[in-house]
Amino acid sequence: MAELLIEGLTKRYGAINAVEDVSLHVADGEFVTLLGPSGCGKSTTLAAVAGLDRADQGRIAVGGTVYFDAARGIYLPPEARGCGLVFQSYALWPHMTVAENVGFPLTLRKVARAELRRRVEEVLALVEMERFAARYPHELSGGQQQRVALARTLVYQPAILLLDEPLSNLDAKLRDRARAWLGALRTRLKLTTIYVTHDQIEALSLSDRVVVMNGGRIAQIGPPQEIYEHPADPFVADFIGTTNFVPARLLADVAGGGRAQLELADGQRLEAHSERPARAGSRVTLAYRPEHMLPATAAMPEGSVLRTRITSRAYVGGLWQVGLDLAGSPLRLEARQPPMGDEFSLWLPHAGGILFPGAADVAA
Amino acid sequence: MGVTTGEAAPNTQPFRREVPIQWGTFALTLVLVAGPLIPVLLQSLLTGALYENDYTLTLGNFTRLATLPGFGLVLLNTALLAGLTTLVAQVAGTAAAVLFGRTDLPMARLLGEFFLWPLYLSALVLSFGWYAVYGPSGYLTLLWPSSLLGDAPWNLYSLAGMALVAGVSQAPLAYIYCLSSATLTDPTLEESARIAGAGTFRTLWRVTLPLMKPAIAYSAVLNFTVGLELLSIPLIFGDPAGITVLTTFLFNNGISSPRPDHGLVATAAALMLVIVCALVWLQGRLLGNTRRFITMGGKATRPRPFRLGRLRWPLFALTVLYLLATVLAPMGTLILRAFTSFLSPMIPLGEVLTIANFTALFDYPVYTRAIWNSFLVSLIGGALATGLIGLIAITVHRSEFRLRGLLGYLALFPRAVPGVVAGIGFFYAFALLPGLGFLRNSIWILVIAFTMRFIPAGIGAVAPMLLQVSPDLDRAARVQGADWWTASRRIMLPLMRPALVGCFTILFISFFKEYSTAIFLFAPGSEVIGTALLQTWVQGEIGLVAALATLQVAVIAVCIAAVRGFFGVKLHG
Repeated sequence: MAELLIEGLTKRYGAINAVEDVSLHVADGEFVTLLGPSGCGKSTTLAAVAGLDRADQGRIAVGGTVYFDAARGIYLPPEARGCGLVFQSYALWPHMTVAENVGFPLTLRKVARAELRRRVEEVLALVEMERFAARYPHELSGGQQQRVALARTLVYQPAILLLDEPLSNLDAKLRDRARAWLGALRTRLKLTTIYVTHDQIEALSLSDRVVVMNGGRIAQIGPPQEIYEHPADPFVADFIGTTNFVPARLLADVAGGGRAQLELADGQRLEAHSERPARAGSRVTLAYRPEHMLPATAAMPEGSVLRTRITSRAYVGGLWQVGLDLAGSPLRLEARQPPMGDEFSLWLPHAGGILFPGAADVAA
Repeated sequence: MGVTTGEAAPNTQPFRREVPIQWGTFALTLVLVAGPLIPVLLQSLLTGALYENDYTLTLGNFTRLATLPGFGLVLLNTALLAGLTTLVAQVAGTAAAVLFGRTDLPMARLLGEFFLWPLYLSALVLSFGWYAVYGPSGYLTLLWPSSLLGDAPWNLYSLAGMALVAGVSQAPLAYIYCLSSATLTDPTLEESARIAGAGTFRTLWRVTLPLMKPAIAYSAVLNFTVGLELLSIPLIFGDPAGITVLTTFLFNNGISSPRPDHGLVATAAALMLVIVCALVWLQGRLLGNTRRFITMGGKATRPRPFRLGRLRWPLFALTVLYLLATVLAPMGTLILRAFTSFLSPMIPLGEVLTIANFTALFDYPVYTRAIWNSFLVSLIGGALATGLIGLIAITVHRSEFRLRGLLGYLALFPRAVPGVVAGIGFFYAFALLPGLGFLRNSIWILVIAFTMRFIPAGIGAVAPMLLQVSPDLDRAARVQGADWWTASRRIMLPLMRPALVGCFTILFISFFKEYSTAIFLFAPGSEVIGTALLQTWVQGEIGLVAALATLQVAVIAVCIAAVRGFFGVKLHG
């Protein structure tokens, strides 16, 4: 158990910066998730920590040990780092039984045989796989393989635990159960953990803090709730949860924390809370979560009522997903009752939306 | 379980074992590949012999070779032979690939197996078989009613005759590449042509064959290269008829001649090296980088075969006739010859059946030694070479070794070194380097030379499977504290076992039938079957040649059957 320090990490592949100036401090026992779409640099960051990839710049240290320091020319090979890494593919060795797989790291550490057997049993019991010790990996289901892979990593008590999309190869139902199980295990072990995923539900439900990455850079770091409720930019807003974007123009100057007067492309007007000051005439993008958008009725709290056109309706089980067109921007709304007709009256709260400066290109 | 304390990683010491292992592998490969080439290139630039002390640098050898009377004809013969060989091999191989791979020809699978036979035999043994059937006193030549029709229309002792034998022996190469291309192409391309209204033969001609074009082009260059390097057929049929090609020129002036002109031989060898290098480079261009390691078979689904209709049985008869005439009859006659004292259609078989040829074989120590040496070289040499090839493959594909790219090129470079050139090169290298004299008259010089020759073939057998093993498997071991060597030994090697078995078998067979390198290197005491075959042939002991060849074929057949039966490994490709 140790804290992890990443400073100015940069990794290039030819002209492309896979990871650019990433700095991160993970406290002892903290569970931090790297979240982002594929190609955002999260797996490259993880590989750099594990020592599978040699970064070009920056510094990585765990506890008192410097793993990598480009300035001082330090690079520890993976075998000298003592990290634990669970691969997306599990990487169980097909020619070894479960017990041999789990025992292998201990053989490398020259643990005596009796002690080795005891610890293998103990860790297999921890992941509830003790009955499968004599099986070969191909005789196990995906979920069981994943537990063995975790046991093989935990057995040598790694300094930090690295998990590379460990649930992505499981089917949807199994993934929910495995996630709950992993969450329970995490509270018991209290290991410093870096978890890489592109699944926002895993990230939000498991982590102490979430690091959202985009194009090799960190877009936002924060606790799950903050990331969801106060995304730093349209990318984060779009990636975490479903978000609807509406471009608009500011009618008057607004101070930080004030109420902005806005006009849409078709001339409709609305109001929204703005955290930052902005000037009249500037272009902005409004972001709304589906749960903030409601059909307009007589008894609504403070908000704007807008005319929209219905473009689609689909029943998704218990709910209707309604596609709307608001001044040329597509919106998606969830409703218990399917709206009638072609016109739809939409209510948007003054406080629920988030106002970003500039035009967002993520809303497509 | 209380996971409270971090455990130290097991490998914190500064010394890293992979450094000497990877550099050692690199150095060994470099010595093996560059060792025979440098003396050849150097000798081509010297006035005197390389192992004498007084010589000066010169370009005179090149002008001497260029103005050597008859050398132009040698080059012309070489080009003609290689070109004709390629033509025969491509026509037969492509036709076989279409017929066996894409049509409803009866027993296509079985016929395909027979078609591949020459691949497992050496061209040397095949030419003995052809001699036994079509030679001047061959079985069929004697059966030919010459009083009625004049002399038999075939003559093996001509460029066309040699090209025919060589073409048949190389047709499997064209067949394999065209077949794999035929089975890998999307069958819907052909089906859509047929739905558009194209008939069977139009579809074959306009869609199937054009789709095979890359495979045809690549295997043509490959076959041309092999045709250039061919030694046995020109030596057996060309030399007596006075037709000299580059390989026999090198052989006659470098080995057979009492006072070899080293400058001239080395220059001709260097010339050949340059030509073959260019051709191999062309092969690489045609194939692209990813498909260099071609793997055969694998796809279980065969596209819907073309219906031959009324031509089905006539084509079947034609195919059977081809296989009978080119493979089965020569091999059958050669084997029959081994079990007879004299083989002629004029004498009833019962009177001449004997095993005297085999007993004679074991009476002469030179033959028992050759057989024993062949086994030793193939078994021990094959095992050592498999080990080296495994190391090279892991270092190239699964390490952070700085020169791994260069090592990969080095390991594949022997493809561009003809067997005769390698033989001459190793001959010079061992004559030149002090302290290696003790190796010169032993079988170890053969082991070293054969290993160098067949590294690319071994890599070709190992690399595809190595690339299929997920890199996560050895990376997982690394993260958990295994250094590179432990991860390679404990994880990669066990997973590569089938590939290594395949590699060993290919090397065993290749070593067992190799002769072109060996004839430059063997000495009394270190004969192998290949060299003994050639020597015995020169002495005119046809019965012994047939017996020895039969033995070689039998061992290879057993080997192939065993590997196919036990491991299901396919050996061609």
